[in-house]
Amino acid sequence: MATTAEYLEREQKLEGIGCARKRKEDPRFIQGKGHYVDDVHLPGMLFGAVVRSPHAHARIKSINKEKALALPGVRAVLTAEDLKPLKLHWMPTLAGDVQAVLADEKVCFQYQEVAMVIADDRYLAADGVDLVEVEYEPLPALVDPHHAMDADAPVIREDLVGKDEAGQGKRVHDNHIFRWEVGDKAATDRIFATADVTVKQAVLNPRVHPCPLETCGCVASFDKVRGELTVYITSQAPHVVRTVVSLLSGLPESKIRIISPDIGGGFGNKVGIYPGYVGAIVASIVFGRPVKWIESRIENLSTTAFARDYHMVGELAADKNGRIKALRVNVLADHGAFNAHAQPTKWPAGFFSICTGSYDIPVAYARVDGVYTNKAPGGVAYRCSFRVTEAVHLIERMIDILAQKLGIDKAEIRFRNFIKPEQFPYHSALGWDYDSGDYPTALKKVLEAVNYPALREEQAEKRTRGELMGIGICTFTEIVGAGPSKNCDILGVGMFDSCEIRVHPTGSAIARIGTITQGQGHQTTYAQIIATELGLPSEVIQVEEGDTNTAPYGLGTYGSRSTPVGGAATANAARKLRDKARKIAAHLLEVSADDLDWEIDRFKVKGVPGQEKTMKEIAWAAYNNVPPGMEMGLEAVEYYDPPNFTYPFGAYLCVLDIDRYTGETKVRRFYALDDCGTRINPMIIEGQIHGGLTEAYAVAMGQLIAFDAGGNLLSNSLMDYFLPTAVETPKWETDFTVTPSPHHPLGAKGVAESPHVGGIPCFTNAVNDAFAHLGVTQIDMPHTAFNVWKTIHELGLDNRA
Amino acid sequence: MQVKLEKTFPIAAPADAGWRVLQDIKGVAECMPGAQITQQIDATHYKGQVKMRLGPATASFNGELKIKSIDEGERKIELFGKGSDTSGASAATMNLTAQVRDGGDGRCEVIGVSDITVSGKLASFGGRMLTQVSEQILKQFGDNFTARVLASARGADTPQTMAASVPPPKELNGVALAWNVVLGFFKSLFGDTKSKSG
Amino acid sequence: MAKQHIVFSLNGGVVEILVEPRTLLIHALRETLGQTGSHIGCETSHCGACTVDFNGKSVKSCTVLAVQADGGEVLTVEGLAHNGALHPVQEGFMQEHGLQCGFCTPGMLIRAYRFLQENPSPTDEDIRMGMSGNLCRCTGYQNIVKAVQYAANKLRATQGA
Repeated sequence: MATTAEYLEREQKLEGIGCARKRKEDPRFIQGKGHYVDDVHLPGMLFGAVVRSPHAHARIKSINKEKALALPGVRAVLTAEDLKPLKLHWMPTLAGDVQAVLADEKVCFQYQEVAMVIADDRYLAADGVDLVEVEYEPLPALVDPHHAMDADAPVIREDLVGKDEAGQGKRVHDNHIFRWEVGDKAATDRIFATADVTVKQAVLNPRVHPCPLETCGCVASFDKVRGELTVYITSQAPHVVRTVVSLLSGLPESKIRIISPDIGGGFGNKVGIYPGYVGAIVASIVFGRPVKWIESRIENLSTTAFARDYHMVGELAADKNGRIKALRVNVLADHGAFNAHAQPTKWPAGFFSICTGSYDIPVAYARVDGVYTNKAPGGVAYRCSFRVTEAVHLIERMIDILAQKLGIDKAEIRFRNFIKPEQFPYHSALGWDYDSGDYPTALKKVLEAVNYPALREEQAEKRTRGELMGIGICTFTEIVGAGPSKNCDILGVGMFDSCEIRVHPTGSAIARIGTITQGQGHQTTYAQIIATELGLPSEVIQVEEGDTNTAPYGLGTYGSRSTPVGGAATANAARKLRDKARKIAAHLLEVSADDLDWEIDRFKVKGVPGQEKTMKEIAWAAYNNVPPGMEMGLEAVEYYDPPNFTYPFGAYLCVLDIDRYTGETKVRRFYALDDCGTRINPMIIEGQIHGGLTEAYAVAMGQLIAFDAGGNLLSNSLMDYFLPTAVETPKWETDFTVTPSPHHPLGAKGVAESPHVGGIPCFTNAVNDAFAHLGVTQIDMPHTAFNVWKTIHELGLDNRA
Repeated sequence: MQVKLEKTFPIAAPADAGWRVLQDIKGVAECMPGAQITQQIDATHYKGQVKMRLGPATASFNGELKIKSIDEGERKIELFGKGSDTSGASAATMNLTAQVRDGGDGRCEVIGVSDITVSGKLASFGGRMLTQVSEQILKQFGDNFTARVLASARGADTPQTMAASVPPPKELNGVALAWNVVLGFFKSLFGDTKSKSG
Repeated sequence: MAKQHIVFSLNGGVVEILVEPRTLLIHALRETLGQTGSHIGCETSHCGACTVDFNGKSVKSCTVLAVQADGGEVLTVEGLAHNGALHPVQEGFMQEHGLQCGFCTPGMLIRAYRFLQENPSPTDEDIRMGMSGNLCRCTGYQNIVKAVQYAANKLRATQGA
C-alpha cells in the first residue's frame, strides 16, 4: 500500500487538474519569442493596405487607380470590378447574409473597404492608398436604428430590395433583417394584464468593440507550383476559416493550410472573416507571392466586429412580495450595414433567450428585430457567449428596478426568485436546460464576505448627507460551451470539438486540439487534464493548436467553449488511451483487465501489492508488447459533441462612491464569486476573472463606439475609445464555489467570460443604485464622469449652496 | 459632423465697396486662408483647392464652388462648395450666405452665415475641434476680406495692387492656427461664442 | 526615398542599417532588424506595446523615427535576459501570472525594467501610475502589479547583498 505522503507526492508531480501550475507559454512571451501574425516574414512578401470610404452612405461614381499604379513599388489596386470575375466581390457571412468584400457601386458605412493596394512594403502600400482617387455621391445616412424602419428611411441594401428574406426568416421592411420570437406571448400577456405589479424599462447596451491589443491581420501565401495556399491568420476559429476559404476559392481543403499562431487577444474580434483577409488571399493567388495585410488600430475599431448595440425594453410582472410571474422583452438590434452577426447559424439573436437569468420565472416572451443601419457590420460576442451579456444585463437591471418599485432590498428580491438548488436540472420558460447551480449559497457567501448590512447602513447614512454611494449586485447565469450539434452549427458544421493525443514510447505525449488559445493558457491547462487522466506529468505533454494541417477539426475558441467542449474532448481522448493502457497492463501483468485498479499514474493488481505497471512502462510496451490482436501504438482521437451547454454562474458585488461635483466614480470594492464547476488551474482561473472584470469595467464605465448624425465614427482611436489603464482599474477580490456540471466528463463549465457578463450589470447596477433613492430607474452606460455628472446636474445635486 | 457659424465683420468702408469685392469670387476665395480658385468653369461654377497644414499633417482639398444666387438689391450672395481630399479620406460641404449691409457714415458690415459638414477622417479626428477651427478660418477670412474692401475703397481695385496690399496666406498657418484654436476652445468653455455645433 | 545610414547600440551589440527618413523605429526594429519582440498595438502611443528603452528612458517606438536612434542605445525585450538568466522582471511576470496573450508583455517588461530603476521601492499605487502608459487587455493589471513587486524585491535583495 502506498503511504499517503508518497501518494500525494506522486499526484503533485503530475501537476494535473487543480494545480496552480505556472504557464508553459510564458518563457517564450517574456523573452520576446512570441510568434504573432505580424511577426511572420516570408521571402518576397508583398503588403496590402485598404482604401476606405469617408462616407457612411454614398454611391461610388468612379475609382481612379492610375496615380497609385504609377508609384514605383505599387503592384496592384484591387477593386470590386477586379473581384467580380472571381465572384469574390461579395462573401457570405456567418449569419446567412452577404457582405461586400470591396464596395460594389455603393458604400454603406464609413471606413468600408473600397479598394486594396498591393505594394512592396507597408509604407508604399500606404502611399498607394493615398493616391487612389475615389469619387463619391453622398447619400443620406441612417444612423439611429429606431428610424431604420420608417417609411422614408434611406434603403441601405439595394441588393436585397424586393427580397422578403435575408437569411434569417421573413423581413417586413427594406432595412429589416429578421424577427426572432421565443416563448409564450399570449400566456405572458395574460399575466401582465392581471399582475399585482409591473415594471417596464428601456435598457441600452451601446455599441462597443472588443479591441484586443493585437489588431486583425493575415499573411496569405500561395504556392503556384504546388497549388497550395497557406494563411497565417488572427483567427479564433482556423478550421472554420479553412472551410470558408475552400468554399470561396474553390481550392480543396486539403490544399489549404490555415495557421493561427500566437494571438494577441481575441475577445470575439477574431471570429469573423474580414475583407482584408480575402483581399490578401486573392492577391497572393494572383501574384504567387506571400501577401501580408495588417489592420491599423483605426481600421480595427472602425470596421472589424463591433459588439452589442441592443436597444432593449424589458418588462416584469410580479406579485406584491416581489415574486416574478412573467418577463416580456422587446429588442431592436442594430446590426450595421451587413448582417455579419457572429452566431451559430440558427440563432439570429444568439442565446439571448437566457434572459430569464438565475430566476424561476414561469412564463416569458422575447422578441428581437434586427435592422440595417449605415454602420460597420458585426455583432460579435465580446468576451461572452452569443448575446448573453445583453440578456444578463437586461434581467439584472429589471430585477433591481422591480426591487426599487416594491421597496424590497436588492439582495432579498434575488433570494425570493432564485431557481432553487433542488430544481436542477431546470427547464427555463424560454427553453434552456440549466445543468446545475446553487445560487443562494453563492450570494450568501458574498453578502457575508462584504458585510452587506453594514454597507447598506453606511449608504443610508451617506444619503442623509447628500453623498452618493452605490451598491451593485449581480447574480448571473451564463450559457456557454456551444454546443450540441442538434441545435448548433456554423455554416452547417456541428459545433463539436476535438482532441488527438499521441503518447510516445518513452512516456511523453503530444496533444492537438481543435480550439485555439488567445491568452487563456491552453498549453498549460489541457496538459493538466491529460496529466490527471493519463498519469503522465504535464511537463512532458506538449499541446498544439491552430494549425489545420496537424490539429483535428474543431470549431475554435469563443463563447467559453474551450473547456466545456475542447476540454471534454481532451478528457475523453485520454480516457480512450487509459482504456487501451489497462488492456496492455493486464497483458503485461498476466491478469484480467477487471482485476486492475487505476491509481494516479499506474494500474495495480487488486490486492497484490507491488504488482503494478506505470503509464510510462505501459507506453513503452504499447510499441513492442501489446496483447495479441491489438494495434500497436498509443493514440486516440475524440470528437466531442456536447449533450448540453454548461451554465456557469456567480454572484458579484460592487461598492462605489461618486463625486457629486465632478461625476467621477471610484470603485471602492469589487467582490466576485464564480462557480465554474471543476477548477482545472486556479491561478489561470483567477487571471481570467481579473481580465474579464476589467473588460466589464471598461464597457460599463467608458467604452462607446459613437457616431455623429452623419454616420461619422467619433471613437476609432485609443484617444477616444476607452481602454482602462492600471490607474483606474479597480482591485479585484475573487472567491468561488464548486458545483460541477453533471454532463461534462470533468464537471467543468468554463469561466473566462463570466466576469465580463456578470461584471457589466454589477457596475451599472451600482451606479444606478447610487441614484435609486432619488427616483432614478435607469441611467444607461457608459458611466463616464461626464455622463454621471449630467445626471447629477439634472437632479441638482451639485449645487454647492 | 455639422457646424453652423454666423459672423459679422464691421468694415470702415462704404457698402458699395464691400459688395464690389464680394462679387469677385476669385478674390473672395483667396481671402480664405489656404484657398485658391484654380479654374472658372462658367459664370457660376469654379474649381478650387484648399490646403491645410496642422503640425506634420497636410490636407489638400479639391472641390467645386457654385454661386447659387446673387441678389444685387440685397447685396447678398449664396455659395455652395464641396470637396474632398485627394485620397478621398475626408470630405466637406459648405453653404455660405454673405450679405453686405449699409451701416451709414460710409461704413458697412458683412454678415456671413455658413453651414459646414465634414465627413471622413476629418470628422472622426477633427470633429471636436471643428467649431474652433472653423471660427478661426472665418476670422482670418474676415480680416483678409476687410483689408481687401479697404484697399478697394482706396481705389486700388486691380487684382495686382490688391494682392500687393493683402498678401493672402496660401496655407493655413499651423502654429498660429493651433494657438488660436486652443484659445477659442477655452473661450468656448465660457460661452463666448455664437456658434452652434451639432 | 533616399535612405539614411544609422548606427546604434541594440541590446548591447552595434547595429548598422539603412532606413528611409520616415521609417519609424518600431518598423526598423521589427522589419529591418528582425527583432519582433516589441509590438504595434495602436500607432498613436497610447498602448505601449512598442515600448523600448532608449538612452535610459522608456519610449514608445511607434512614434520615434529610426533616424533619431542614430548614435543612441536601445534595449528591447530580447536584450533583457543576461547570460541565459532571466531578468527579475521577466521572472516576476512568470511567477505572478502577469501575462496572458503576451502581446503587451514585451512593452510591459521594458517599462518595468526602467520604472524599477526610477523607483526601486514602489508602492502598489506607484506601480499602477508608473506602468500606466502600457495597456493590457487580458490581465486586469492586478498580477502585473504583483509581478513588478516581485521584481522589485528580488532586485533589492540582489543589489543589497
